[in-house]
Amino acid sequence: MLGGLIDANIANNAARRKDFDELKARVGVWVTDIDEGVTLEFQGGSLVVSNGLRPKRDITIRTDAETVMNLSNLRIGLFGMPVYYDEVGRGVVAKLVQGKLRIEGLLGNIATLNTVTRIFSVR
Amino acid sequence: MAMAVEAFSDEWAKLFEDEVNRSSVYKAAAKGWKWTVGLVVEAEPDKNFPEARGIVMDLFDGSARSIKVGSAADAQACNFVISAPYSRWKQVATKELDATKGILQGKLKLKGDLPTIVRYTKASQEMTECTTRVPVEWPDEK
Repeated sequence: MLGGLIDANIANNAARRKDFDELKARVGVWVTDIDEGVTLEFQGGSLVVSNGLRPKRDITIRTDAETVMNLSNLRIGLFGMPVYYDEVGRGVVAKLVQGKLRIEGLLGNIATLNTVTRIFSVR
Repeated sequence: MAMAVEAFSDEWAKLFEDEVNRSSVYKAAAKGWKWTVGLVVEAEPDKNFPEARGIVMDLFDGSARSIKVGSAADAQACNFVISAPYSRWKQVATKELDATKGILQGKLKLKGDLPTIVRYTKASQEMTECTTRVPVEWPDEK
């Protein structure tokens, strides 16, 4: 589903297409309450989706299914930054603070995370 | 106390429609929604559900204009279609399976514009809550 969502997002939005074309990163998404996940390998204009977590990931997002959907509902604001002060954003931050959303590899990859968030966003 | 109705029957559809229209949470979360949604309940003869049915939902801007039972083909003609076997839908309606997780796991098959449906996650969650409020007789429990 995440691969399909990205496909649809970049087809509908030139800015997201640009992000997608420039992004080279291996991102893991592990859905904790279903114990399943995928690895998204962004290859600068193409995407390979693999089941499970592949090694050598730049970022790994570990959270529950509801939060995965909420991450896609983050608004993108000024300078392409996710908005964390509205209802959805505050919910995501709360999960981060509570440890229910973990982002491994965040330090040193903030720009990558922001780009991935923009590509995922349906707002 | 309301009488239980047969799952996915015309009576069930009416009660479900009423629950959706009573929900202020759904009304707020589904503001702006303007597409039809079809639920395909696939047959499971061994569960006393011998023929597939479709639930056709005409949803508009926070209300259910109509929810009707039809054929699977009727449901498949909708803008968004979610398909699953009868027993999966029963799991959703009895809160054994969360619909979001079900879609992510591929247990519920979704057709339609993904960004739109993700945007309205809260509305679909409340709609699932509404199904759990309808007292139901399950064919496989007869």
